[in-house]
Amino acid sequence: MKQRSKTLYIVILAAILAAYYLIWGIYLAKLGYFNKEELFLIEKAKIVFEGVGNRLKVMGLTSPLLPFYGSFIFTGVSYTLAPIMASAFGTGILFYLVCSTLIKRTSDEFYVIVILLLFLFHPGLLYVGASGKSTYMVLIFFYLFFLNIFKFYGSNTTFHVSVSSICLVILIFCDYKFVWLTLFFIPLVLSISIHTLNLGEKESIFRLFLSFNNPSLRRKLINKSMAIFIILFVLPLASILIYKMLNLTHANDLNYFIDSPYSNWSVLAEKIDYSTLQDTVNHRLPEISILISARVIIFFPLILLAFYLFRDNTYQILTLLTPFFFIEFLKIKYAKVFIAQQYYIIFLILALLCIVTKIRTVRNEGTFKLVLILMISLSIYTGYVMLDTSAIVEERNFVSSLLHKKVIDSQEEVKNVANYINSLPSTSHVLLDDAIAYPIASFAKDVRSLTLPYQDDYLSAIEAPQKYDRYVLIANNKNAANSYTELNLKYVALYKAANSNVSLRKVFESDNWILYQIL
Amino acid sequence: MPEEISEFSAPYSGNTGVSTDYKNMPIPELLVKDGFMSVADLIKIKAFSERSGLSMIKIILNFGYVSRKNYERSLTNAGYVFEQIREQPYEMEVLDQIDIKFADEHVALPLRKENGKIVVIMADPSDQLFIDFIKLTYNCEPEIILAPDLDITWLSHKLIGIPYVKSAVFELLNHDPKSSALITFTNPQLIAMFSTIAIICIFLVLNFTITSIVINVFISVVFLVAITFKLFLALVGSRFELHQAVTKEEVKQVVNDELPIYTILLPVYKEDKLIKKLVWNLQSLDYPREQLDIKLLIEEDDDKTLNAVRNLDFPAVFEVIVIPYHMPKTKPKACNYGLHFSRGKYLTIYDAEDVPDTDQLKKVVKLFSKLPEHFICIQCALNYFNRNENFLTRMFTLEYSYWFDYMLPGLDTLDIPIPLGGTSNHFKLDTLVELGAWDPFNVTEDADLGVRAYAKGYKIAIVNSTTYEEANNEPFNWIRQRSRWIKGYMQSYLVHMRNPVALWRKIGWRGFLGFNFFIGATPITFLLYPFLLSVFIAYLVFDLRSIRLLFPDWVLFISIFNLLVGNILMIYVNMMAVFKRRYYELILFAIANPVYWLMHSIAAYKGLYQLIIKPFYWEKTNHGLSKVNNAVNVVK
Repeated sequence: MKQRSKTLYIVILAAILAAYYLIWGIYLAKLGYFNKEELFLIEKAKIVFEGVGNRLKVMGLTSPLLPFYGSFIFTGVSYTLAPIMASAFGTGILFYLVCSTLIKRTSDEFYVIVILLLFLFHPGLLYVGASGKSTYMVLIFFYLFFLNIFKFYGSNTTFHVSVSSICLVILIFCDYKFVWLTLFFIPLVLSISIHTLNLGEKESIFRLFLSFNNPSLRRKLINKSMAIFIILFVLPLASILIYKMLNLTHANDLNYFIDSPYSNWSVLAEKIDYSTLQDTVNHRLPEISILISARVIIFFPLILLAFYLFRDNTYQILTLLTPFFFIEFLKIKYAKVFIAQQYYIIFLILALLCIVTKIRTVRNEGTFKLVLILMISLSIYTGYVMLDTSAIVEERNFVSSLLHKKVIDSQEEVKNVANYINSLPSTSHVLLDDAIAYPIASFAKDVRSLTLPYQDDYLSAIEAPQKYDRYVLIANNKNAANSYTELNLKYVALYKAANSNVSLRKVFESDNWILYQIL
Repeated sequence: MPEEISEFSAPYSGNTGVSTDYKNMPIPELLVKDGFMSVADLIKIKAFSERSGLSMIKIILNFGYVSRKNYERSLTNAGYVFEQIREQPYEMEVLDQIDIKFADEHVALPLRKENGKIVVIMADPSDQLFIDFIKLTYNCEPEIILAPDLDITWLSHKLIGIPYVKSAVFELLNHDPKSSALITFTNPQLIAMFSTIAIICIFLVLNFTITSIVINVFISVVFLVAITFKLFLALVGSRFELHQAVTKEEVKQVVNDELPIYTILLPVYKEDKLIKKLVWNLQSLDYPREQLDIKLLIEEDDDKTLNAVRNLDFPAVFEVIVIPYHMPKTKPKACNYGLHFSRGKYLTIYDAEDVPDTDQLKKVVKLFSKLPEHFICIQCALNYFNRNENFLTRMFTLEYSYWFDYMLPGLDTLDIPIPLGGTSNHFKLDTLVELGAWDPFNVTEDADLGVRAYAKGYKIAIVNSTTYEEANNEPFNWIRQRSRWIKGYMQSYLVHMRNPVALWRKIGWRGFLGFNFFIGATPITFLLYPFLLSVFIAYLVFDLRSIRLLFPDWVLFISIFNLLVGNILMIYVNMMAVFKRRYYELILFAIANPVYWLMHSIAAYKGLYQLIIKPFYWEKTNHGLSKVNNAVNVVK
């Protein structure tokens, strides 16, 4: 098969795969499965396209920024479907990227089929493709970043190191936590520098000793290490600096995009997930240092195959270790946050990358194919186990919806509140705080009928809602996030005490929400 | 007299006042007798003379056989007397009958009729062919005056080189006036410019805020698009950094006997300090000596350089061509003049301080043989040998590394017109002449020629060979040089944009956009840079409330984003370039780029001023200021 027809074949497979994810996504949405990120992005997209007020801030400072823009493309079809479509097509693109790397190295279609099966049935990848989350973009740029790093080892060209740097920039704007990946490349960079010095000594440790004890070599070593580190990481770090600067100018807070629940859905979601689980007893494999790496190996055994393939390549092995250091560090840095699927699934993608790039060096292909099938089957199984036992509710919820058509954390309640708001006359404005009520806003038909924090009037409306709004949405005490918003029952008490001439009438109540009419 | 050379002896009947036993001995044999040349050399010189038409004395003095000092010593010992000839009277009727090329080849010139004889100045009084020419042409005997060859060259070019210098100045103007920069602004351009200014003023009066915002956004977007495009090009260029247009093996396979004549033009002005270095660098070139046609182009009033050549202690490897005085006194004019005397199939230009890779010419010949016919020029990379001398040389190295290692290969890959670098561009000589050669009124004639070549359907390639130059290490000298370059870019832009639609049709949309981004946007970004920077500083330092009107939130967002991202991207591409060259110690200097661009801005405003006041004035760059020794770049 010629290269062009092979590419076409891969494109067709990727398109079919995207359609497959899309069907799953729509099916799950119909079933009532929604996740917080998806709802957050839907709400922000509605504000950008339909809202009235400081939309620039929402557009520029909503985080993760690039997945948000990625879902923009599909908002023309439907706000609700846009994130699902983005993740379905994005995962299709990921499949295309993996396979296009593969077909340049082997013409054996077996591997394409195996990868296709993995993409079809691995629950982690199904979650990526059908959930409407932004993990697809993380995986695409994570893949491209490491692919170019590996290419750099082979070619030693500035092109590959620069492209990987650009991919890292995009990766960080898909998920800020990946900025910590830069820390763990320091030993790798030093290792590359030592190996490229022109020394007679072959053993790394002696090369290091020689380099440190000779002033000229030491200077060279430092210059080279610095240069590689700078060329790789100056762009991501500078981009973050610029973005923080924009946050400062537009939100008076350098870390607005990381810390504010108005700009980043995960700020509250992670806290609430963690505090909810603290109250329950569980016997799952815990997320603590060292065991995280063990979890990775148990749930993604394919990574062992990657280590095996690169057993003779020091740089590549060190490179493979960096995500392990990274995920361990995440648990230390963000101690009270569960590690989400997107930080685990990168190991599956990394393993695939290693397999497709080293496929040519495999000697005993028959055995290798057999091991590969076994590993992939095992990965699919462990993938289900992992999601099913995840500490994060929406991950468990996904598997439950997928396998048992049973949505644990259904958004029915939220939909009911939203439907009630939608049924109100178009002139009756509703005051709500989208730090926690973004799911309701995402189901609202007309975002202009809501008074939200991105608007200049919001603070005045909190002070005197009767002047701006007819209704106010309050989080009641059962709402797990009620302490993260001003609009809770304490606000109602305070409001009633301060405004004796205005009264609030409960017009709708659910488990977590109360809608008051201002009279 | 050794027996072997007797066969070269010819009867000599000139009258030079020689009173020794050697008066009948031809000068080449005299030099052999004195031990300055071997017989084998003499045989080679004679064969070369017959092949090329050059006189033997021309070959002896210009192809590395005998130094001028030894030549004079030998002749003086033989009893010859050298005379000062610059003030010799001359008659135009006599001069009109000889062509400069013939006089130049024989280093001889008839000056006047006197006492029934023709007074002739000659460097080799035994040059029988020239003596016969005099006898036949003027029908009388010659009265020979012996003079140093450089003085004869100087006088002959000054007296009978005028038609050629006029051709050098006006050839392009006469044959392709649309491509000449003699007229800086055409009437339609002036109308368009003033109309635009008028429209902007009207809108500013009608609605100051909105107009300012539109201009502001427009500037920011152009700035960002230009820089993003540069990053894209750098990435495209960097992708091919391992690609070798010509490999070492291919160079090894080149057969010396099959190599064509290669002309090297060396335009110099008051570069007396560099002449010794120049000879050393040229001798290091891996190319058969006789196949090299090296011309040192010296201005008529540049006695400093002429005397430096005269005082060389070792044999010269170049011919001197003296450019008769004619305005404009520019490098392209000198090169055009030198073109009339060039014999090569290929031609290149080097500056006096250049250190090309030793195998560069062979690589170019090989690449030309591999490329299709419509590739008429090959550009080599330029870089600096004194990069670590000071801040300025480091910044210059960053800039050149990025420009020649990434940008030009990027442009080449995308088939966008390449603005040629000032030196080390290798041409097919016949096509260069067909193109009208360099525009003497354009102060960046190289960039202009690159675009003109594309417009005529020709292509330019890039070769993996580097010429090391001397980076300007003195700020005022740097600004002089840079102001000329930026002025030249403005000139080239104005020339080629006289009819934008025609240009679009000729070079396609990619070429047109590339031309606008590189030639057009470069001076504009430098002119705008201080303005954008001052707005940013004002924003940081002062309360912006007063000018807040002009910067609503979204404009501020775009402006800050553009300025910061633009700066960082440019810093990054500079880092990439030195990373490729393995100049790791320079990588952090890329951060100082915003300061370096301020110097560009000063130069840009100077260039703009000069474009209006004296467009053809050539700001001379002083070379030889570096204290760093340049090692020859031997390619093994």
